[in-house]
Amino acid sequence: MNLNKSKFLLFFLLFFYSIIFAQKNEVKKDSVKTEKLEEVIVTGQYSPQSINKSVFEVKVISRAQIEQQAGNNLADVLNQTLNINIIPSASTGKSAVQLFGLDGQYFKILIDNIPVVNDEGLGNNTDLTQMNLDDIQQIEIVEGSMGVQYGANAVSGVINIITKKSSKYKWEITPYIQEETVGDEYGLFDEGRHIQSIKVGHKITDRWYANAIYTRNDFAGFWSDKKGKHHDLNDGKRGYLWLPKLQNTAKALLSYRGDNAFRTFYKFEYFNENIDRFSEQVDPNYNPSTQTSDPIGDDLVFTSERFYHHLNFLGKWKDGFNYDISLSYQQQKRNVETFRYRIKAREKFDVQEFEYESRKVYYSKGNFSNFLQNNSFDFQLGYEVNHIDGYASSTSGSFDGENIKRELGSYDFFGSSEINVNDKFSIRPGARLLTSSVFDPQVAVSLSTRHRFDNGLEIRAVVGSSPRLPNYAELYTYFVDANHDVRGNENLEPEQGTSVFLHLKKGFDLTNDGASKLLSKLSLNYLNVTDRIELSVVNQIPLQFKYINIDSYRTIGAFFNNTMNYKNLKANVGIGFAGESKVLDSRVLHNDDYLYRMQFNANAAYYAKKLGMVFSAYYKYNGPSQQFVQRQNENDETVLIRGKQSDYSWLDASVRKNFLDKKIQLTLGARNLLDITEVNTTALEGGAHSGPPSTLLLGYGRSYFLKLVYNLNF
Amino acid sequence: MKTNLIFIKALLLLFIVSGCSSDDDTTIQEFAVAFENPSVSFSTTDENKEVKIVFSSKAPQAGNVTVNYTVENAVYGADADFTTVPSGETGSITVAFKQGDSDVSFTINKLKNPIEGVTQSVSFSLAKVSVLNSIMSGNTNLAVSFTESAALGGIISPKVGGANEPNQVYVDLSAQSQVDVLRDSWDLGFYGGSEFRVSINGSIFMGAAQLDATDINTVKEADVTAIKDLIKTSAPNTAQYFDGPTGEITKTVIAEVSETDAENKVYLLKLGFEVSTKAAEVGGVELSGDLRGWKKIRILRSGDDYVLQHADIAATTFEEIKISKDSDYNFRFFSFNTKNIVDVEPKKEKWDLNFTVFTNILDFGGGNLGGYGYSDYVVTNLKGGANSYMVMTADFTYEDFTLANVNNANFIVDQRGIGSNWRSVFTGSVKDDRFFVVKDTDGNLYKIRFNALTDDSGVRGNPKFEYTLLQ
Repeated sequence: MNLNKSKFLLFFLLFFYSIIFAQKNEVKKDSVKTEKLEEVIVTGQYSPQSINKSVFEVKVISRAQIEQQAGNNLADVLNQTLNINIIPSASTGKSAVQLFGLDGQYFKILIDNIPVVNDEGLGNNTDLTQMNLDDIQQIEIVEGSMGVQYGANAVSGVINIITKKSSKYKWEITPYIQEETVGDEYGLFDEGRHIQSIKVGHKITDRWYANAIYTRNDFAGFWSDKKGKHHDLNDGKRGYLWLPKLQNTAKALLSYRGDNAFRTFYKFEYFNENIDRFSEQVDPNYNPSTQTSDPIGDDLVFTSERFYHHLNFLGKWKDGFNYDISLSYQQQKRNVETFRYRIKAREKFDVQEFEYESRKVYYSKGNFSNFLQNNSFDFQLGYEVNHIDGYASSTSGSFDGENIKRELGSYDFFGSSEINVNDKFSIRPGARLLTSSVFDPQVAVSLSTRHRFDNGLEIRAVVGSSPRLPNYAELYTYFVDANHDVRGNENLEPEQGTSVFLHLKKGFDLTNDGASKLLSKLSLNYLNVTDRIELSVVNQIPLQFKYINIDSYRTIGAFFNNTMNYKNLKANVGIGFAGESKVLDSRVLHNDDYLYRMQFNANAAYYAKKLGMVFSAYYKYNGPSQQFVQRQNENDETVLIRGKQSDYSWLDASVRKNFLDKKIQLTLGARNLLDITEVNTTALEGGAHSGPPSTLLLGYGRSYFLKLVYNLNF
Repeated sequence: MKTNLIFIKALLLLFIVSGCSSDDDTTIQEFAVAFENPSVSFSTTDENKEVKIVFSSKAPQAGNVTVNYTVENAVYGADADFTTVPSGETGSITVAFKQGDSDVSFTINKLKNPIEGVTQSVSFSLAKVSVLNSIMSGNTNLAVSFTESAALGGIISPKVGGANEPNQVYVDLSAQSQVDVLRDSWDLGFYGGSEFRVSINGSIFMGAAQLDATDINTVKEADVTAIKDLIKTSAPNTAQYFDGPTGEITKTVIAEVSETDAENKVYLLKLGFEVSTKAAEVGGVELSGDLRGWKKIRILRSGDDYVLQHADIAATTFEEIKISKDSDYNFRFFSFNTKNIVDVEPKKEKWDLNFTVFTNILDFGGGNLGGYGYSDYVVTNLKGGANSYMVMTADFTYEDFTLANVNNANFIVDQRGIGSNWRSVFTGSVKDDRFFVVKDTDGNLYKIRFNALTDDSGVRGNPKFEYTLLQ
């Protein structure tokens, strides 16, 4: 380990829940009682605490914002956040995320502080559309390498979904329906998006609480100019531009609060998803004798299932230390049914059903802190162990026809201490030892400091590190035939990520009565990934490719964010510049110049008290971005050019009103008001047998939603 | 609570309405009936022919097809010219089928050969199908000739043999017939024409390199080790190890065999690959199995015959076989499997197209030519007098293309007129924006259009095409 690659930082500031606080007025009476001005956060803390005491910079997306955006899953709400880009894939139906330009392999998605399984990994590569938000309290986003707190693959940050675990009502019954257009398409059955949900919460005693949720989310696909599954001409119009999918989520929670700060909960989740894929290509199956066609499609259905069990204990050991222990078993499996389809006869044949990919996870994590009961010095010790049984069928990658089965055990131990030198300056060093059954031991370190000046200015500096473990494709690919030679590499080392963040934060009173406040924050960051794994030419004649640790990746950025409260108006404005540099030693041609991109976001919520309505709008501008790409010039030579992706903006807006003493809550809104569907780009490279695409698909255009909630609380 | 109940009921209703989904509409698929081919001809030795009537989809119910016929110089009857099974005594034939059948057939028996110079024929036509909503479309008529005549057209599904593509299939369009041989059943072809030329088997990616030696016994492993690595497909600068892909006999990798023995060099021979037995993924192919090994050979002339000397690389002695020319065939074939002559091609005038795996030569950039393996390739019998060229549907539709549209200038000296142009391996399908004109070895002109690269299950190596005589 070298000094550079470790550390970790994070700290944070208080960024207030950037939305509607009018919400606070409205929901005060119902279960969302967490909407306090001073938010309590969990991520990276010894124990849940106020956001402005945290040593990490945590961004919070509040329940109120999620409701105002009518967000049903994580993909619905994250695209308004700076540094995050959502990349939907129309062809697989998944939505992937980039954080600081790094894909889903580099950051973790957690539920209640533990990573959540998906069919490709634990916490990583999560499909955001599979993360239902109906039971959540808030989303916490921490940027930077969080290896000490969250282990491997937390290079660019973590997204922690915190669920609700209590209520002040005896009974809470909340059904809702949500109807959405998909672009300009809407129909009762075959078009649009249709969500039905019911949530039942029950406070059994003052100590016991239970809830259960069921949600059905039927996305009928985006047709655009396509003509669906029954189209029988080979004109490229069969199927859907965005695949239809049907999701069912069921969740249950049982929690108990005891004496001596003891709290325990058990959480269960079942998730099921069906995605239908219809081949665009139609085999006309022309019969020259009869001069008729019996067209055939080549279709498949993916079925994913996830089981999630989480048992957590938190408390104080007698008069001594605090503990926080989680035990979890999780499983996600994706099955595929492939078949050929006689379109005219509506007949499936050659049906094959098999397991496509799966992960089974045994997991435990424990944090122990507050051993000394000393305000100026504390330390935390912890462990995180997991055992992952992974399976990837031969058809999920190029594995030479082999199904890949792998067990990976990870055994991590970590510790950190918090030293409050005085009430202005504190420092927190930490380290984690990551051992595993497959890879060499790794070390992650972090160091965070916080200083508060007399004028109220706070400075936090956070350094952190985290490794990224190689994935199955990188380890096991084997594609060798007469014309190709592409191989994985079982001797790959984990990539090493390091980040440095510096945050300056200051609050101002805009008026003398304190009714109007401004909070400004400036963040500077540097993130470096070394030993990057890339498919590289390892032999010219014959041409051979292999995955090796070769490249590196760096980003630098500056972000300035302002949150303002004025009477019933709450507004947030942020601007950021990020530069990205790739050292691609895997290629003959490369250029590691920094390429810069600007992002800007603004949102506002206004509570019109007389009308009992909340108006809100969210805007995010994604500036043009560049990428070095290889192109053939007029002399047929391969040259490197700066490919450019155009800029685009997201604009969402909604209005919410309560009726009948808040029993009925109606939200009307629009997503993607600027009607963005795709963006022009010259920043992509073509595949082996195809030219580069000239556009990147981003969305399905302007769409509208209506959400009707019924709150029955007694 | 009462209002609560109303809301709950209302929401429940909304749940149900928004939660259900519509069922698929179902359409009724047409049931079309046709003769498989538009013509049948009897050679002097043929005694009976089966006529197939095909359905566009499986028969929805049992029923029968009624076929009428008219005769020209032919008389029905057991002691006359022809009979049919089932009987057509009454002037029509009724053929029964069961539910689920996808075709039915009847048989025509030719009882005597017509007198030379007399045209004897029968015209069959579909008259009735007993299934409701059925249609008769496409080949509703069938011309049967009792004298040998060029097929008017038809459908041929060459038996390439699936995704390992084990067979080379020789197709005779006018006779509407095909012959298949295992593609790794031969190694060398000895030309039967005027030149003394020897071809190697490109369908298993064989390659050859001329050595300096003229004494086969002196060549050792060490002399060829370096060259072995160079003889391979999918690599630039390898064109010199393969036969010229145009099919011109003067472009074989092995130089013309000289009368002067001292001019005939020893060649290193890569025997290519066995036909793979590995299962291919649906839509893909698995062509090459194990390497069949290496040989050294030297070819001499003995009068009008060839003399082949061959040995393993390390051997210090050789075996020899004399191979005489046969001008009825393009080549006579030799196999190292049997170390003897083997039958491969039909007579040179008895085939027009060969469905095969093929070693082509490509430009790998900058004029660096190299060998590249192709599956699903179609070679025209250039040496036997056949030729072909491609027509884009942007210029002519297949249906409208007539004899008058044939442009003889488009026939160039190249056996690759069809080649791989008919299919795309990336979409795994036939290219539907083109068709081909083929001049067969008898001088007939046909238009041909490919219908399938795969079977209904998507398995490659199951081609199908239709063709029509241009007249």
